[in-house]
Amino acid sequence: MISSEARPVTRPAAKYRSQLRIYLDIMHVIQRESNEAKPTRILYGANLSHDRLVKYLEELKTLGVIQERGTDDKIYSLTQKGVEFLNNFRKVESFASAFGFKI
Amino acid sequence: MELIAFTIAFAVAYQALKGYRLSKERTLLYLHFSFVLLGAGLLVDALSGIIVLISHFLRGLLFLYSLGYTINFIAQLVAYGILVVAYLQQTRNVPVQLAAAAPIASILFFERNAFTELILIFLLVYITAQMVINYSINKSTNALLVFGAFASLALAHLFFLMFILIPVFFPLAHIAQLFGFLLLLAMLLRVNQAL
Repeated sequence: MISSEARPVTRPAAKYRSQLRIYLDIMHVIQRESNEAKPTRILYGANLSHDRLVKYLEELKTLGVIQERGTDDKIYSLTQKGVEFLNNFRKVESFASAFGFKI
Repeated sequence: MELIAFTIAFAVAYQALKGYRLSKERTLLYLHFSFVLLGAGLLVDALSGIIVLISHFLRGLLFLYSLGYTINFIAQLVAYGILVVAYLQQTRNVPVQLAAAAPIASILFFERNAFTELILIFLLVYITAQMVINYSINKSTNALLVFGAFASLALAHLFFLMFILIPVFFPLAHIAQLFGFLLLLAMLLRVNQAL
């Protein structure tokens, strides 16, 4: 059972999620979890399979937007760069939406 | 007035470019080019008007006024054409190359006339209708501001059309145009102050 906090990021029915959109969904989930999210929460929240989650988390770590703590019980949090990226992206989304464009 | 509008148009273009760099969303690139063209057209029109004024309407330089209007008209035609194609692309798969076919550029310079204004009004009415649909879906203040901006620009060109018959509409058209760009500035400030 998925708790209300770990509910998947909702959006209009879309057949295809871009890589950027998946990155953003993962980062949204981490931010929603008070910037301390366990992999299971991210997996449910971002609606990803385990293999894809591991792949994307590695990519986000390489990009320097998230960081990992712990060895057995891994916890992910956004870095300062990640928070800034998310805030800038929200501004872009708001700007594009004002003109009726979807990102 | 045109110089203020030019500055705002370039600010919108810059914001769209920033958005494109972050998201790689092609529609934002179209928006960027559209507002760069709008700004450039307004700048050329304003500068040609200033030069003609400074030269005290010297007969040899009067062609600059027509040249400025011609460049501004073509720039607006392409700019609004790009926006129309961007909206059409969202719903149907219209190739963007059509945007290049939108302007019917003339090699002759022309004065402000009913035909050019009617073309711009037609394009702006289409864009304004898209903004109404967007606002009815979003219900956000930013969408309302953009709708208001394009409605004002359409009204400005309607006033430019009426100016051909009644001169009093000329300042009203400039005020409506400036108001439209000020609404876009308000939207930009809201977007950047959010969060």
